Amino acid sequence: MNKSLTLKPIRGLSVLLALLVLTVMIVIPLIQIFIQSVYRDGELQLAAPFRTIADADLAQVMLNTVWLGICVIFGTTLLALPLAWIMVHTSIGRIKGLEVVLLIPFMTPPYIGSMGWILFMQKNGYLEQLVPALGRLAPSFFSFGGMIAIMSLHLFPFLYLLLRGALERIGGSLEEAASVLGAPAWYRFRRIVVPLLLSSFGMGAMLIFVKTIAEFGTPATFGKRIGYDVMTSEIHRYVSSWPIDFGKATSLSSLLLTVCLLMWYVQSVVNRRYTYSLVGGKGSRRSAETSRGPVLWLGGLFVLLLLVFSIGIPYFSIVAASTMKLRGEGLSWSNTTLDAYRELLSFGTPGMKALMNSIWLALAASSIAAVLGTWFALVIRRSKTIGQRSVDLLSLLPNTVPGIVIVVGLILLWNSPWMPIPLYNTAGIVILTYVVLFVPYTVQYVKSAAGQIDGSLMQAGQVFGGRPWYLLSRITLPLILPGILAGWTMTFTIASRELVGSLLILPPSMQTSATFIFAQFEQGQVSLGMAMAVVSVGFTTVILTIMESLGSKRKWNKR
Amino acid sequence: MWNRTFTVKTKLARTAPIALTLAFGMALTACGSTGSSAPAASADPAAAAGSTPAKQTQSADTKLTVYTAGPEGLANKIIEGYEAESGVDVEVFQGTTGKILARLEAEKSNPAADVVILASLPAAQGLKADGLTMPYPEAKNADKLNPDWSDADGNYFGASASALGIAYNTKLIATPPASWADLSKPEYKDQVNIPDPSLSGSALDFMTGYLNANGDKGWSLFESYKANGVTMAGANKEALDPVITGAKGIVVSAVDYMTYSAKAKGEPIDIVYPSEGTVISPRPAAILNTTEHEANAKAFIDYLLSDEAQKMVSEAYLMPGRTDIKAENRANLDEIPQLAVDWDWMNENGADVTERFLKLFK
Repeated sequence: MNKSLTLKPIRGLSVLLALLVLTVMIVIPLIQIFIQSVYRDGELQLAAPFRTIADADLAQVMLNTVWLGICVIFGTTLLALPLAWIMVHTSIGRIKGLEVVLLIPFMTPPYIGSMGWILFMQKNGYLEQLVPALGRLAPSFFSFGGMIAIMSLHLFPFLYLLLRGALERIGGSLEEAASVLGAPAWYRFRRIVVPLLLSSFGMGAMLIFVKTIAEFGTPATFGKRIGYDVMTSEIHRYVSSWPIDFGKATSLSSLLLTVCLLMWYVQSVVNRRYTYSLVGGKGSRRSAETSRGPVLWLGGLFVLLLLVFSIGIPYFSIVAASTMKLRGEGLSWSNTTLDAYRELLSFGTPGMKALMNSIWLALAASSIAAVLGTWFALVIRRSKTIGQRSVDLLSLLPNTVPGIVIVVGLILLWNSPWMPIPLYNTAGIVILTYVVLFVPYTVQYVKSAAGQIDGSLMQAGQVFGGRPWYLLSRITLPLILPGILAGWTMTFTIASRELVGSLLILPPSMQTSATFIFAQFEQGQVSLGMAMAVVSVGFTTVILTIMESLGSKRKWNKR
Repeated sequence: MWNRTFTVKTKLARTAPIALTLAFGMALTACGSTGSSAPAASADPAAAAGSTPAKQTQSADTKLTVYTAGPEGLANKIIEGYEAESGVDVEVFQGTTGKILARLEAEKSNPAADVVILASLPAAQGLKADGLTMPYPEAKNADKLNPDWSDADGNYFGASASALGIAYNTKLIATPPASWADLSKPEYKDQVNIPDPSLSGSALDFMTGYLNANGDKGWSLFESYKANGVTMAGANKEALDPVITGAKGIVVSAVDYMTYSAKAKGEPIDIVYPSEGTVISPRPAAILNTTEHEANAKAFIDYLLSDEAQKMVSEAYLMPGRTDIKAENRANLDEIPQLAVDWDWMNENGADVTERFLKLFK
């Protein structure tokens, strides 16, 4: 390709620079952790991590973790794939605001969602109070199946966003062409949709797997209740209870890391085999066939049920718990009060301050992450050279290591005596932490969008004398904008409710909504914590709705 | 490779500038070794460390950083009271004892905290044993503290305490159990929660205390609990909440102040202390010897032991650490039957007991 002639030096420099930034942001903190795991009692013990792994009787826990990850991939696929199809191919997808509503499960802090389910299903819980006859269901819900259901209902929006993006890019023409040539529906699905979806699905499935095995909220609440132990609970035990042992925690983390890297490798092989150029010069459009009749009704029913289970039930519990005067009295109108909201929303209260902190920190972090992530994704392109592949791997690392481990590494680095930049114990370190933790999302979304841009577009631009900067701003950026927006949205959503890292890294006297909620569950009033969950999810929804309406105005293929 | 010398600013003015060899990978090995040598350095010249910061505090020093375990309302009140009295600006980090210790560990090479208030005595004993605390034997009112809960040399002060009991839902449990062994009876089958000792320091205090007093046959109690369907459920609040909402009937080894405060709100819950005795878990405060605000830290400890702060402690349904101040809203020390326990033994065996207990209840 002749375009690489002019761009080569810049691109090489860009790769180098990206590697440097990633090294400082991610690799050095992780190396700090590694050093902690091999330095025991002030001396180098290279075998120490292996001893820990062998000692701690971990085979079962590891197996639990991986099995959970696989089951949740399956569960989220069952929810996300039909949903993505319905949203792209039927008129349900045009309902205003549904997009943002579908993100609500993911905005909900996982431990709050799980608590909602527990309060609803437990003995003498809300379900039994509403419909006493259904109380018998409770024991069967508190099982491994219940855990998969809760986690899938929490994580499915993530996979859905990726799949919908891919389905939209497939457009109508390919399927129509096949249809004209007489291919039956199943054949079209098998030979066109599946191969084209596979790269996005592989990426999504891997991220779901990683998110699941690194998840803390649900295992800590629901998992503990049913006695299902996973690696993260073990790691958290070593870093948050006496005696603290970072060495052991990091040894276990490296085990998790290995599993995640294996997944990443498989995924990238699949990805390289199944990436196609879908966005060419001819433009694309939505399929002309929109389904009607029974398909529409079935689709509507599916979306409705999904909303009831992923939002309706947990939020019923959360709202009920937040408005309860006495938790021991149960559901009744005389036992409701809005005191918690009054206490939370008054100006200048700790709760209000925490909420504002969350919002501005998340805004700052998601904007920085969007810029950095886009840059990394453009540098990676189709990961052909070693440099590009390293950027790919490094920018994904934070997603594969449990948050708490990275955070410990960041503290070790930024609080070391020789660190010349006084970032530690300021809001800056919190933003940096969020960026490090969540930059993989933007990278993944943008990569998935950029990977499908046909090289012919760039060549056409070049033929007509476009300079690199012009090509970037007029061709590449508009085409990847939906990816950037999706990445921004995701980062904002997660950063505004991030708990594990915030607990450790927030400067003294600073709280976010998540740590506020957690503190209420630990020591304060549950109703105040639940009210905070409702309010902060409400705020996030408002901001996302604004972003969504801005984004849809700019959609390049809107017709 | 190149050599570079950083003069360390602000926080580390007490130490000589540290020279480090910086080169991409090499730098990391270097800081690994600084990290491990730091505690050793702070252990031997403990006397010297006491004298240097005193000079700095001559000028108006208005900073103090406190890491404190809950309950949240109490911590805020004490801090506000101290700020009003002294004019010092206090930075607060609140978390469980485990979170605070994790943060101290992560900040080891460049500590930020001046004072810590923990909810577990063995943790404070650990800090002392590692040479991280600064003794302050001349603290005001220290002589009135319960000597069992504080260090004789003034390394830590048991400013408050909670007792472990059996909390129960008054709607579901008609006859509350009278002894620990009662909970193995069939009438309480599948009704009982017990906090996870790896997450609740006070629950661990109960277990180690019970085993210390009863020897190895103490384990048969926990084995009979397991056989009777007792479930292990998170930290204190997580174990108590299902009992308030009625999903479970009883928490064994429940911290009493949480129960009292829920009861005062009107929740259907109460607590009993079994006749064979229980463990009282002190909540120690300590000054870290890396403090740069020594005078303020000491003044804070003085305030914590003052009549005013001790009153706040009792208003939060905790037992005041001072023997001359009585709580009016809860059982006082002399009304709670106690087991004879040896805290040093409990500190030494905590990790083993936790491990065996977790294995049993998984």
